[in-house]
Amino acid sequence: MTQVPLQDFIKDVEFQTSFKFTFDERELSDKKVISVKARNEPLGKVLERISAETGLEFKLVNNNIHIRLSQFKETLSDSAATITDERQEVRVTGHVTDKNGTGLPGVTVLLKGTSIAAPTDAEGNYSIGVPDGNGSLVFSYIGYQRQEVDINNRTTINATLADDAEALKEVVVIGYGTQAKSDITGAVTSLKAEDFNKGANATIDQLLSGKAAGVQVVQNSGEPGGGIAVRIRGSSSINAGASPLYVIDGLPLDNSPVISGGGANFDASQPRNPLASINPSDIESIEILKDASATAIYGSRGANGVVLITTKKGREGRTSISYNSYVGVQNVANKIDLLSAGEYKTVLNELIAAGGGSPDYTVPEGQNGGTDWQDELFRENAILQNHSLSFTGGNAKSNYYASFNYFDQDGVVKSSSFERYSAKVNLNIQASEKLEVGVNLNVSYNVDDFVPSGFGFNAESGTIYAALNFDPTLPLTNQEGGYSLSPFLDLDNPLTLANGSNAIANSYRTFGTVFGKYTILPGLSAKLNIGGDITNSRRDVYIDRSTRYGGPQGGIATILQGQNTNYLVEGTVTYDKTIASHHLNALLGATTQRFVFDNTNNVSRNFPADATETYNMGLGDRSTFDLGSGRATNSLLSYLGRINYEFKEKYLLTASFRIDGSSRFGSNNRFGYFPSFAAGWKLHQESFMQQFPWISTLKPRISWGQTGNQEIGNYAAISTFSSGPSAILDDNLVSTTNPARIANPDLKWETTEQTDAGIDFGFLNERISGSIDYYRKRTFDMLLNLPIPTSTGFTSILSNVGSIRNTGWEFALNSINLEGDFNWSTNINLSTIKNEVLDLGGLAQIITGGAGQTSQVFIIQEGLPAFSFYGYQIDGIWQQGDDFTQTTDNVKPGDFKYRDINGDNTVNAEDRVVLGNSFPDLTWSLGNTFEYKNFQLNIFLEGVEGVSMLNNNLVDAYFPIQFRRNRFAEPYLNRWTPENPSEKYPSFINPTSQGSKLVNSYTVEDASYARVKTITLGYSFPRNIKGLQNLSVYVTGENLFTFTKYSGYDPAVSPNGGAFSRIDFNAYPVSRNFIAGVSVDF
Amino acid sequence: MKLKKIFLYSILTTAPMCVACEKVLDEPAFSQLEPGNFLTTAEGIESILNAAFAEGYINGGDGKNRTMLESWATDIQWQTDGAENRIAAQMIDFTWDSSLDWLFGSMWLRPYRAIRDANILLENVDNSNVPENAKALYKAEARFIRALSYSHLYSWFGPVPLRKSTSDPLELPRAADQEMQSFIESELLEIIPVLPNPGAEANYGRPNKGAAMALLCKYYLNTKQWQKSAEMAKNIMDLNYYIVYPDYESLFKVENERNKEFILVNPQNPRGGGMEYMNGALPPGFAKEPISGLTMQGNWANWAAQYRLYDSFYNSFDINDKRKNLIITEYINTQGNIVSLLNNNNTRSFKYWPDPNAIGNEHGNDMSEIRYADILLSRAEALNELNGPNQESIELINQIRSRAGLTQPSALSDFGSKEELRNYLLDERGWEFYSEVGIRREDQIRMGTFISSAIARGHANAQPFRVLFPIPQAAIDANPQLEQNEGY
Repeated sequence: MTQVPLQDFIKDVEFQTSFKFTFDERELSDKKVISVKARNEPLGKVLERISAETGLEFKLVNNNIHIRLSQFKETLSDSAATITDERQEVRVTGHVTDKNGTGLPGVTVLLKGTSIAAPTDAEGNYSIGVPDGNGSLVFSYIGYQRQEVDINNRTTINATLADDAEALKEVVVIGYGTQAKSDITGAVTSLKAEDFNKGANATIDQLLSGKAAGVQVVQNSGEPGGGIAVRIRGSSSINAGASPLYVIDGLPLDNSPVISGGGANFDASQPRNPLASINPSDIESIEILKDASATAIYGSRGANGVVLITTKKGREGRTSISYNSYVGVQNVANKIDLLSAGEYKTVLNELIAAGGGSPDYTVPEGQNGGTDWQDELFRENAILQNHSLSFTGGNAKSNYYASFNYFDQDGVVKSSSFERYSAKVNLNIQASEKLEVGVNLNVSYNVDDFVPSGFGFNAESGTIYAALNFDPTLPLTNQEGGYSLSPFLDLDNPLTLANGSNAIANSYRTFGTVFGKYTILPGLSAKLNIGGDITNSRRDVYIDRSTRYGGPQGGIATILQGQNTNYLVEGTVTYDKTIASHHLNALLGATTQRFVFDNTNNVSRNFPADATETYNMGLGDRSTFDLGSGRATNSLLSYLGRINYEFKEKYLLTASFRIDGSSRFGSNNRFGYFPSFAAGWKLHQESFMQQFPWISTLKPRISWGQTGNQEIGNYAAISTFSSGPSAILDDNLVSTTNPARIANPDLKWETTEQTDAGIDFGFLNERISGSIDYYRKRTFDMLLNLPIPTSTGFTSILSNVGSIRNTGWEFALNSINLEGDFNWSTNINLSTIKNEVLDLGGLAQIITGGAGQTSQVFIIQEGLPAFSFYGYQIDGIWQQGDDFTQTTDNVKPGDFKYRDINGDNTVNAEDRVVLGNSFPDLTWSLGNTFEYKNFQLNIFLEGVEGVSMLNNNLVDAYFPIQFRRNRFAEPYLNRWTPENPSEKYPSFINPTSQGSKLVNSYTVEDASYARVKTITLGYSFPRNIKGLQNLSVYVTGENLFTFTKYSGYDPAVSPNGGAFSRIDFNAYPVSRNFIAGVSVDF
Repeated sequence: MKLKKIFLYSILTTAPMCVACEKVLDEPAFSQLEPGNFLTTAEGIESILNAAFAEGYINGGDGKNRTMLESWATDIQWQTDGAENRIAAQMIDFTWDSSLDWLFGSMWLRPYRAIRDANILLENVDNSNVPENAKALYKAEARFIRALSYSHLYSWFGPVPLRKSTSDPLELPRAADQEMQSFIESELLEIIPVLPNPGAEANYGRPNKGAAMALLCKYYLNTKQWQKSAEMAKNIMDLNYYIVYPDYESLFKVENERNKEFILVNPQNPRGGGMEYMNGALPPGFAKEPISGLTMQGNWANWAAQYRLYDSFYNSFDINDKRKNLIITEYINTQGNIVSLLNNNNTRSFKYWPDPNAIGNEHGNDMSEIRYADILLSRAEALNELNGPNQESIELINQIRSRAGLTQPSALSDFGSKEELRNYLLDERGWEFYSEVGIRREDQIRMGTFISSAIARGHANAQPFRVLFPIPQAAIDANPQLEQNEGY
């Protein structure tokens, strides 16, 4: 072909080969015209010639060929003669490779200070004629660092080029589009697959834990498939939702639980993790949008941050098949140290002798040494396995990614497990020159097998509570062969609970999008995106006759069924144009999404036999039938726009605007308006910065914007009647209705205004890079359950009242410490959060929160962090000889000495003080990766400093509900006695003599910790194995060591689901895992 | 041209959503009812009336909480163990404060929800299609529930915000004592003629004339309006409907509910809101009661909490008094041992004899709040306060004593003064009404022994202001106009 536009040539090559070109249209905007003649010639040779002719550089990365203008265009553009100089006296040859030893074609080899240059061929070999053996050669190539080598009279000079991170423009996904990382003006953390947490990650939020500054990931518990609270930059609301918005491939996900509640007489934990339906190995990248500039485009759903998830896409080229698999064993990472059978007998009998219990409760000589109920309940070496198989491929017109995943995790508590089968298809088709269409589809089937492990206590409790409280002197089974029971305990046996409560949930989720993108004019395109998400879940719970509840009731069967659906319709227009030094990218769009929630629940009791479980509800006694159903809907209608403007590739401006309407708000206030502005300055591009060659990136940026929150229940703005408590008339239950709420027709968005100042930096050619951010995030018109005079019969009205502020620093650093045969790189993340309630609309305080029998845990008050722990300060123990006239309380030596704050000689509710909060002072993580030859070692540490959690199981140890309960060992073995006048632990003779002081400076514990989260050792086999692209194996240890003062199972959980209002009660324990994995690419 | 095209495509992509923009955001409340239409129907009015009943009468956990908070500070009953003990310890020791949860949930919010539902009915019934002849009855029933709730609140907290309509201002201060009193009295007086005669109510569990009269009689008694109380008691006796049920020991069994002695009854149902007293009354490892042969059933809960009676109370019974037969003093535990409960302040009231068909925590025994025996003793007390010891009072007392199997009736000559008979009545009422809803606290407060007997039991913190409970702190936090009771 002669004198054809470059773009036509590219198309032709793309059509004939499996290669695909990438280039910056701005650079090639002068529409180079080329002439080339080739037949059965390697592409490399052809490109060499084009390179010589046009001054373009080509670089092959995978199957993509990057094109850019040569930096030495001037020296090369004269004529082809420059490649082979006739006046040569010395010929230098050599081989240029990348760090893996692969030959690099198209590298420019230049004799420094001259116009003498030569390219490498397809294998990376070059030959250059130089005048003499002096001088030096400069090797340069797009995507690699430039290298200078002195010739020193050698005739063979080989070079290995190091990657140039800067040159490979990293693309970051932003709301409704993508942007070069270097052009981002907002605070965005971008994680690629290789950055994700190693180890057993059932769900995508586990991938993020500790990986992004300013993002708190707090598991509810160690339960397989259990819920996780993710919080970005603190908590901007008290009563509205605080979870980020998740957007997968352009589809905002609805993460509300499909089923709430656990079934009749089943002590259920928090709702399951809705993200469990997604296979983490399908994820290509996760972008976390933190500041308002990044999130305002999501308007009313942006206030809590946005997590953009991009799944893997197909690539043009040969079909590639990947298989990833790992198998692991899990064991409970930490048992709670309880009294052993012998200690229990000694301690309890001594307490009785000291007057601390009725002689009727005397512990007799045990048989068989008793039972460690934790050991009996926990499964040893619980198996975990994951298998993912994916296919990718495509041609110039279309590409695909298809995968299948099977994940199976047995819980460390017997009779619990989680299984997932999922499949994914991403399809992209270039239907015509102007039209691109695509489909992203995800289907999954999950099976959850639950054990009761919620906040229940006494006879209504779950397995963990029972195991912590059960009498350790009892044998496992009684004489009749059933699990033993104690007449002195209002508790079911933990193993009866595990085996006699059969709870299984089957969940099906299908979601995906179909899009069409039409290029109207160069730079102008329109996209229509239609998506949907359907989750169906059914939970069957059967409490059989072996249990305390199921026995007398002849079995209790519950079926809970739920369906959440939503659909999305969205149109956007994008315009991208460069005129001289101005680059403009503009977006305009409209979107609507509607959500429908349906649920039904059925309970039946008293079956002729346990055999049919929940599969024949009609066999139960009709008079026990209990039916319920519900439907709720909500919808959103929004308009959005954004402009990104860049001047001289140095000055960046972003502005966005969204108008959001939500059905949840009062008809006068349905629409909210969310603007944002941001500016960035690529300081390192300025000429005056060239004197600091070690600075490769220096980009200060600042942003301001407003975002909203609409995560409240449906219908809060209207008054409705819903079902009330049952009346008893003629001894029958009669259903009633009463007002569901006191309506607030003026209800509107909660608005969060955020300012962020940050700087991105990179030194030594990006060997050291990172960012520092400071933010102030203030929420006003807060959606608050405002207490109203209770004489109305209501306790609160949801109102737009008050404000709350989060401020914090975030620091992220990546560095390559050593490079060469031995590579060492480090990642550090640090973040701080400070939360303060600024205004509560005149209310003095709100005291709230509880678990089990503990209530009034938190105080919300102006000037304090939200959900500050509120209770009694313990100053030590009353001792013999103390002045007991200082108190009118019922105290004796050996009792807790609570601080009398107001000095009125009695300690009551007036004497409560703030005991801490759950906003960590510092959250940190440290990752180190070492590479030697084909070995790779990754060590990831994480920790949290300055955070408190109420340990409600410790409450039960200090204030036992029954004398014959088992208790935490430490306080009891070291308790106060006249002979051991402890200043720390009380006598436990009469623990409630001073009433209900459950929330105190002992039970609110410091939950700071440092943890060796994962250590992974991997080995990649050399690439020369025939038929294989890649083969690697690894072993990972997870949750290996934890350093903490916290006395519960794990300091990093929050079974009540609140990341910043943390109460630990009966948490399903966290496991320590050892995993071996293999990854093969064909 | 270019601009035109851009504009065109922009419109094309965004237009589909703009057709009926706002309409998209009108979401119907599928599972809930809109008050505008619903409250005009008879069904709507009935369902809100039933909600008022459900909240106005006690049952389930709230009922247990209320009954216990009222009794733990008295000279009859106390408790140990269980999570409850953390609350009970404060009640027993007279150190309770305004942060006590149960006060707020079970004793403050619940009556106010009943009042709310009653007010909603009263404001909507006239515009509904309820048959005209039924409107008056519904209104009287709603006003009964409202008066019952206010009389409870008044007994516990003193005068409270008096909300008579949902359109009253949001922030209401506490009513004056006189206003509170006259409201309760006038409301009850007005509805007594409208309510059906006892036994004629449409459903067992709905209010009747007798219940309203009994409530008013006890209200007069507790506010020391002796003449009015005595007269109202007489009016109840003159209904000639109620009787002293002959067999005290079986009076409280589930099979004997709907008797003619219970006047104001809190209905219970084991399937949803039952009596929970027995769960704490059963002693640890209870297997069998040797005298009655009562044997533990798997469908009964035996709580960690232990509801115990003082030995001084048990020992005060006449040896022949049948009423003490509902108190157990020993039992056989699951290991086959006989466990004695005496001499450890640990005897147990089995007054609400366990329901064979109980489900878990819930037993079906209805809980009487006012029964005919109370009306007779109220008249006896009122007459004594008015006239000193008198023959009619003695005869009324003897009706109760003879049912208790006490062949030796009291005689007028036994009582030398008003005080002596008053003290005797306090004892008699203890023997007759122990473990029954709310009675002992009111009796002790009325007769002036609530604080003194606590001090005598060694609770030095028992100060006079504790005859009223504190207004719950959460209620004060939500209403700046609400003043706390003195002393708290």
